[in-house]
Amino acid sequence: MEFKDYYKILDVKEDADLKEIKKAYRKLALKFHPDMNPDAGAEEKFKQVAEAYEVLKDDTKRAEYDEMKRYGSSSEQGFKAPPGWQPSGGAGHSASSADFSDFFNSVFGGGQDGFRHARQQQSNQFKGQDLEMEVPIFLEESVSGMTKSLEYQVPVFDGRQTTQLKKSLKVKIPAGITDGERIRVKGQGAPGQGAAIGDNKLNGDLFLHIRLVPHPLFDVQGINLLLTLPLTPWEAALGIKLEVPTLSGKINLSIPPNSRTGKKLRIKGKGLKNKTAQGDLLVIIKIDIPPETSDETKELWKQLADAEQYNPREDWSN
Amino acid sequence: MTKITLYIPLDELCLSAHISQETIVEVVEYGIVTPVKGDTLAEWLFDIESAHWIKKAIKLSQELQIDWVATAMVIELMRKKQQLEQENTQLKARLSRLL
Repeated sequence: MEFKDYYKILDVKEDADLKEIKKAYRKLALKFHPDMNPDAGAEEKFKQVAEAYEVLKDDTKRAEYDEMKRYGSSSEQGFKAPPGWQPSGGAGHSASSADFSDFFNSVFGGGQDGFRHARQQQSNQFKGQDLEMEVPIFLEESVSGMTKSLEYQVPVFDGRQTTQLKKSLKVKIPAGITDGERIRVKGQGAPGQGAAIGDNKLNGDLFLHIRLVPHPLFDVQGINLLLTLPLTPWEAALGIKLEVPTLSGKINLSIPPNSRTGKKLRIKGKGLKNKTAQGDLLVIIKIDIPPETSDETKELWKQLADAEQYNPREDWSN
Repeated sequence: MTKITLYIPLDELCLSAHISQETIVEVVEYGIVTPVKGDTLAEWLFDIESAHWIKKAIKLSQELQIDWVATAMVIELMRKKQQLEQENTQLKARLSRLL
């Protein structure tokens, strides 16, 4: 077990008063909080800082820690507690405590391991931890709704240590779900402690964070779908009737003559649907030219250049 | 087949977020979230997105030791950031189709 020097972690002297400890914690918490700092390693650093603060802000825990620090011994095998040391376990840890180290649990008791985010309801009952997982779904699935098989790991505490238990589940994802939406699967988080066998009331919940997998053809804008339609210059100039894909099959679309890049054609009712409205499909024109030009085609382009007076950069001369 | 829920009642949210009703009332009073329905406190119902932000607000308030006004501001900025990041991703995807 590795010894944790909480004073060093918070960068305070061993005789620092509570005010200094609080100030140091705030500074480091702001610096390393995972919501503020996306760097790899910041979350681990924040956990260490939170653990150090949990101990040093509390007079009883700090005195216990100081004693341990004074009389414990370090060797190549790691840190050893003083002979006869018993974890106090009764100090109670804050509900916001991040996952604390083995060192913390050996000093202060790991009774809440696996239930660290849990609240004690009665003397020996704990609500299990909530879990969250991202669920990627295809656009087609979000329209029709579907049954999704999920596999995830649940932390289970057996009274001494936490093990990860594999769990599989089938859930019905409702039609009309959107990117970023969250849904709750009640009672499928970590098991609670102290409930009667078969009673799931103390189980934590599983929260699913829905993420739409990018579609090869369509983009999503609210309840509307966007489809970029590449056209040749002559198709755009002369107009054309062609088949375009929608989520529910192909449809015929007339492209009017002189359609420019960025022009949007609205196909009513072919977008996504929410509880109150039906979205449309917006077809956006993009003009594309052939990657290579034959001599014959080049000659035709030249003829067109001579015949056409249009200058798309007219504004630049002003 | 496991049943999913799109809403969470106040009492279950308290249990899930390990907080008191009073704290949730405070979070609502500071405009961090709004219940989707319920005329009385006991009937309050939150969507799961709001439940997520309530938990985030409480965690931030405790871990960074900041008051509710600061927490409300941080949450508002985080939501805005998340929304802009999502829009940015969508716009980049659309732009790549046009180029």
